[in-house]
Amino acid sequence: MTGTTKAAIRTKVRRRAGAPFAARRINLLYLPAILLFLGFTIYPLVNGFILSLSNWNGYSPSRSFIGLGNYFRLASDPVFHNTLINTFIYGFGSTILQQVLGLSLALALDRAIRGRNVARAIIYLPVLVSPVVMGTMYYLLFSYDNGGLNDIVVALGGSKIAWLSQAGTSVAIIVLVNSVQFVGISMVIYLAGLQSIPTVYYEASQLDGADAWQQFTQITVPLLRPAFATSVVLNLIGGLKLFDVIQVLTGGGPGYATNSVSTLIGKAYFDNQSAGYASAMGIVLFIIIAVLTLIFNTVLNRRRLEGL
Amino acid sequence: MTRRLGRWAIALGLLIMVVVQLVPFYVALTTSLKPRTDLSSQWLFPTSGLYLANFQTAITDGHILRAIGNSALITVVSTAIICLLGALTAYPLARRTTLGNRVVFSAIVGLIMIPPLSILVPLYSLLNQLGGINTYWGAIVIMVVTQLPLSVFLYAAFMRSLPIAIEEAATVDGASTTQTLFQVVFPMLKPVTATVIILTSVSIWNEYALSVFVLRSPDVRTIAPTISTFVASQGSNLGAAAAAALISVVPVLLAYLVLQRYFIKGMVAGAEK
Amino acid sequence: MKSLWKAAAALTAIGLVLTGCSAGGTGGSGGAAKLEFQTGLATSDPILKTLTTMTQKFESTHKDVSINLVPMTNTYEADMKVRLASSDIPDIWATHGWSLLRYSDFLEPLNKRSWAKNFNPALAPAMENKSGEFFALPADTDVAGIVYNKKVLADAGIDPATLTTWDDFAAAAAKLKTAGVTPISASGKDSWFAGNIADFIASGAVNKSEKAGLIKGDFASGGYTKVLDLVQSWQKAGYFNADFSSATTDDLTRSLAQGKTAFIFVQNYVVASALGFVPDAELGYFPIPSANGKPYLVGGEGHAYGVSKTSKHKDQALEYIDFLAQPDNLGKLASAIGGIPGLTNAKSDLGVLQASYEKFVKPGTFPLDPYFDRVYLPNGMWDTMVTTTSGVVTGQSGVTESVGQVKKQFGTLYGQ
Repeated sequence: MTGTTKAAIRTKVRRRAGAPFAARRINLLYLPAILLFLGFTIYPLVNGFILSLSNWNGYSPSRSFIGLGNYFRLASDPVFHNTLINTFIYGFGSTILQQVLGLSLALALDRAIRGRNVARAIIYLPVLVSPVVMGTMYYLLFSYDNGGLNDIVVALGGSKIAWLSQAGTSVAIIVLVNSVQFVGISMVIYLAGLQSIPTVYYEASQLDGADAWQQFTQITVPLLRPAFATSVVLNLIGGLKLFDVIQVLTGGGPGYATNSVSTLIGKAYFDNQSAGYASAMGIVLFIIIAVLTLIFNTVLNRRRLEGL
Repeated sequence: MTRRLGRWAIALGLLIMVVVQLVPFYVALTTSLKPRTDLSSQWLFPTSGLYLANFQTAITDGHILRAIGNSALITVVSTAIICLLGALTAYPLARRTTLGNRVVFSAIVGLIMIPPLSILVPLYSLLNQLGGINTYWGAIVIMVVTQLPLSVFLYAAFMRSLPIAIEEAATVDGASTTQTLFQVVFPMLKPVTATVIILTSVSIWNEYALSVFVLRSPDVRTIAPTISTFVASQGSNLGAAAAAALISVVPVLLAYLVLQRYFIKGMVAGAEK
Repeated sequence: MKSLWKAAAALTAIGLVLTGCSAGGTGGSGGAAKLEFQTGLATSDPILKTLTTMTQKFESTHKDVSINLVPMTNTYEADMKVRLASSDIPDIWATHGWSLLRYSDFLEPLNKRSWAKNFNPALAPAMENKSGEFFALPADTDVAGIVYNKKVLADAGIDPATLTTWDDFAAAAAKLKTAGVTPISASGKDSWFAGNIADFIASGAVNKSEKAGLIKGDFASGGYTKVLDLVQSWQKAGYFNADFSSATTDDLTRSLAQGKTAFIFVQNYVVASALGFVPDAELGYFPIPSANGKPYLVGGEGHAYGVSKTSKHKDQALEYIDFLAQPDNLGKLASAIGGIPGLTNAKSDLGVLQASYEKFVKPGTFPLDPYFDRVYLPNGMWDTMVTTTSGVVTGQSGVTESVGQVKKQFGTLYGQ
């Protein structure tokens, strides 16, 4: 995108629908993917929707249909409302934290400093471990008796803290753990973005007398926009679908206070024998995230065109 | 003066981040080297000499090496398929923006959002009827369908940023669509392919929510479900789980170290056209 | 770039070949019957080790049968439900307390097997249906009370045999708390613990006429309020562990073994886990004080294994179950579990719990109640019991509100 000009974009837009891509048979290229999706995603999804109209218990051969009953129940279920709020906190909280941390790390590690590659590798390291396993390791640190953090607190003269006993702090800890584990991905995306900015731009602006801050806001930030878009979309999806870390750290408790929609689906499906209700939650979550991402994408695309 | 201060602040911040990222691994290491009866602080290494039984358990009872092989196979094959299919699928969606294609594109992007648990039971039944439970291909199909939407999204975004003139020139020179695609477009996709590989391979390597159901037999089980057999609520063995986690990190860390330069370079190369 | 795609194509081909191989492998080559046994046991569970040795012995005399013992992950119950829903049912599986209520439609009745005459009659209320059929081989008979650390109680001068009412229990808890011990440890995350508290108390707090009402579909608000009132009084007095909302089984058993915790409301299996941390810890259990009348023990199905009635290798699976039912083998299994054998002709070593067994179980003076939720509540209530109890323990919700939630879920699930 960097090399293009407004004029080029305009021609591109104009020509996009023209030859040689007018031939409909080019669409054959996406046929295999569509078939795969129809079989292994759309069909189960439709099936899930049908389940959401029933009161199936999740394993027995019999079920009866109750229309939109599960959806009405969702609308009036305070547990679900609270869970939706948590889900947004996980999604947006992690996204914000990861952008701040990821961009800072990328800026710091883009410079020629000693040990740069080692530092990059270490920061990326937790990404390479499954969240279930990583969560278990973090839990060891947060646990009350014998927990690593409490050992430090006690050594400093404090008394032990039950880190995961309050809803608010637990939600914050979950956001933190998820962000810290996956900050490596944002870092790598931003690093690539930074390195794609031609150094000539900086050299030229330096000749024009721009200071470091001006360079950052006027060259770095605008040119990182594609990296930003990719990173935000990825983190948002990851945060909104968050499951493993919650399961390992709090199991959704105390009470229902730290559930995300994904963990609540698991509970309703497998523990509460309410598979129909769980399916309804899945459908609602799917719609919410899909709409959010589409809005985000549209806004970002528009801004990208305007920005150029 | 302020510049030097700033540099120190940055170095300190980096140091803190590095320590934060290493702490869980350090704790895993001390845990893995202690028997269950050693109740000393997590910060301390065992005083009574090295205790390697946890590593032995992870390898002989937990079959962690086998699991690493399974994960590697499933990750490599699925990622390759995802790159190929992702590029093929994205091309018409990026270049032929009819209303129909825009709808198809939005639908595919929407699929990124499906919570795994909400399709689990129907998907499992289907795979079971096809004989795909406990097989590599069953797992690969699942990985491909769950990760492909993201790769289509990334490829399409990248293709739109490529100047169309080159493809038009190729067509004018008499190249068929297939030739244009394979000889002109694909070679330009190297950077975004690096991004797709790095993102999808990590997700597949770590996948748990679906594979724990579909890969049940120790012969085909991947890493995350394997380690979770040590942390089931009754009879858990955290020492062995920690040992298994550490063992499984080694190969992928080596791969990352080898590929790190290539990946960042690959991601960069594209934007410099 | 071309080479990259070539590599991709090659890898795909390799993948297809490999999957082809594996598909052939599972197809049952060589004529041997391959049985899948979902053990419901973690990889390093000592019971699994015992079972493995036993199975090897069986296979050495039955060359045409091979049995795959599958260790569980932490999604065992969910996994079983998915498989029942998809008709992909293992040949043999651990029924973890649900052989009758959840699994009996899918299991082969075993009451005609030769060993059935030795079926421990104490298990009948939990495992037998009205026509006298039972569906799993019971390796042990689950008998549970309140698990406690003997040394901690002795140091505080408390004799568990004297704790016959909840007032006695609360007085003891207060004494322990002053002594710096956590009186009761439980967990809302490892949900057994929170659920058991309600389940254990409910058997005695809900009276006879209320119990009859529950079976007919009338929720016993009065009795259930008593349960949660008691829990709340303990919460207000600070008798619960600080890490209630996040503790794992390991955290709780370690705390019990180290003498930091006095009581845990849970089945005896935790004792093995506690001894893993402190091998010479002195642990026992005692009958649950009652709100109306005599203290009681609860119990029923413990570790039990059933055979799928649709298994392709049903005969071999039954033969294997018969083998496990031999007194010698069953005794070994029960010893590994640390429980009372599920068949009367087997003997087991109860280890550290022998004394509690001699004192409270063997004389038969304390009634053995079945688990409250299995008999009086509809299938699927467990999670609500767990969440409401942990809501009260953490002070997140009040008693009236929680009882309301349980009642509502009861209404939804009853007769489903």
